[in-house]
Amino acid sequence: MSGLSLAHEPVTGISHGKLGMWVFLASEIMFFTGFFGAFIVLREANIDLFTHSAKELNMWLALTNTVILIGSSLTMALSIYSLERGNTKHFRLFLLISILCGFGFLIVKTIEYSTKFGHHIYPSTNIFFAFYFLLTGFHAIHVIGGIVPMMSMYARSFTKKGFHNVNRLETLGLYWHFVDLVWIFLFPVLYLMFPSH
Amino acid sequence: MAEHITAEHNSQAVHGDGDHSHDGHGDTRKEYYKVFFFLLLMTALTVIAAKIPMPGKAGSIIHVTIGLIIAVLKVAAVIWIFMHIKFDNVYLRAMIFVPVFLFFVLTFALTVLGP
Repeated sequence: MSGLSLAHEPVTGISHGKLGMWVFLASEIMFFTGFFGAFIVLREANIDLFTHSAKELNMWLALTNTVILIGSSLTMALSIYSLERGNTKHFRLFLLISILCGFGFLIVKTIEYSTKFGHHIYPSTNIFFAFYFLLTGFHAIHVIGGIVPMMSMYARSFTKKGFHNVNRLETLGLYWHFVDLVWIFLFPVLYLMFPSH
Repeated sequence: MAEHITAEHNSQAVHGDGDHSHDGHGDTRKEYYKVFFFLLLMTALTVIAAKIPMPGKAGSIIHVTIGLIIAVLKVAAVIWIFMHIKFDNVYLRAMIFVPVFLFFVLTFALTVLGP
């Protein structure tokens, strides 16, 4: 029976795991599209409210997070590159940096949220902040969802068996780059695209 | 025969998976660094463009258009190089680029053609 379990899909030529991840990411694009679409329609209908509310956001913290995520995408790609070539030392180093970037992102996001709560700004404040917390909250959950398997792979690389599964790391890499992509789009839409900025 | 196929594919799955192990594509690290700096540059441009005052509806449309064009370039760079679509099958490219393209069309249309 195991002889029938091919690791590669015959049409695309890539592994089932990676194809599954691409299908999942395509569904994720649609998931976020729904929220973005609703946000933009409501923004146009309440442009003054959205412009006024967007002034409360800290663009510099968001910019810091953008740089952190872009950096983590680079280190994730380099981590895959290193594992492909059997360079365990560099694989661990770059994966660790990616993990730290993920935590760094969450720390900055926590600072941002706590500042908002300190100013009594909550999801119930208005429709702009409802979307702000919804979009950034979902994105933060996705970041956590990437950090956990990265930590698992990092820990497994120190076991006697080690971690050598490039395919699995590449599949996780796809997910992590997607998390970066969502933020690349969230940053201008939430923080920058308002007339008064 | 089946054992041979399984062993071959499992080997590919673990050690580079054969679909784009990047051998023969040059040093991909250089491309990664280029994309990284490109993304940083585009991020800086996004912020600079957003800080330029452009009043009125026309200004708003220009802001959004510039922001979306830069976002499209950044997304394309990440998908093409970091996510290795450059080395992947045309069907897979279509599966990803069609929803991404429709996403940007929808976003642009809703923003620019809004009330």
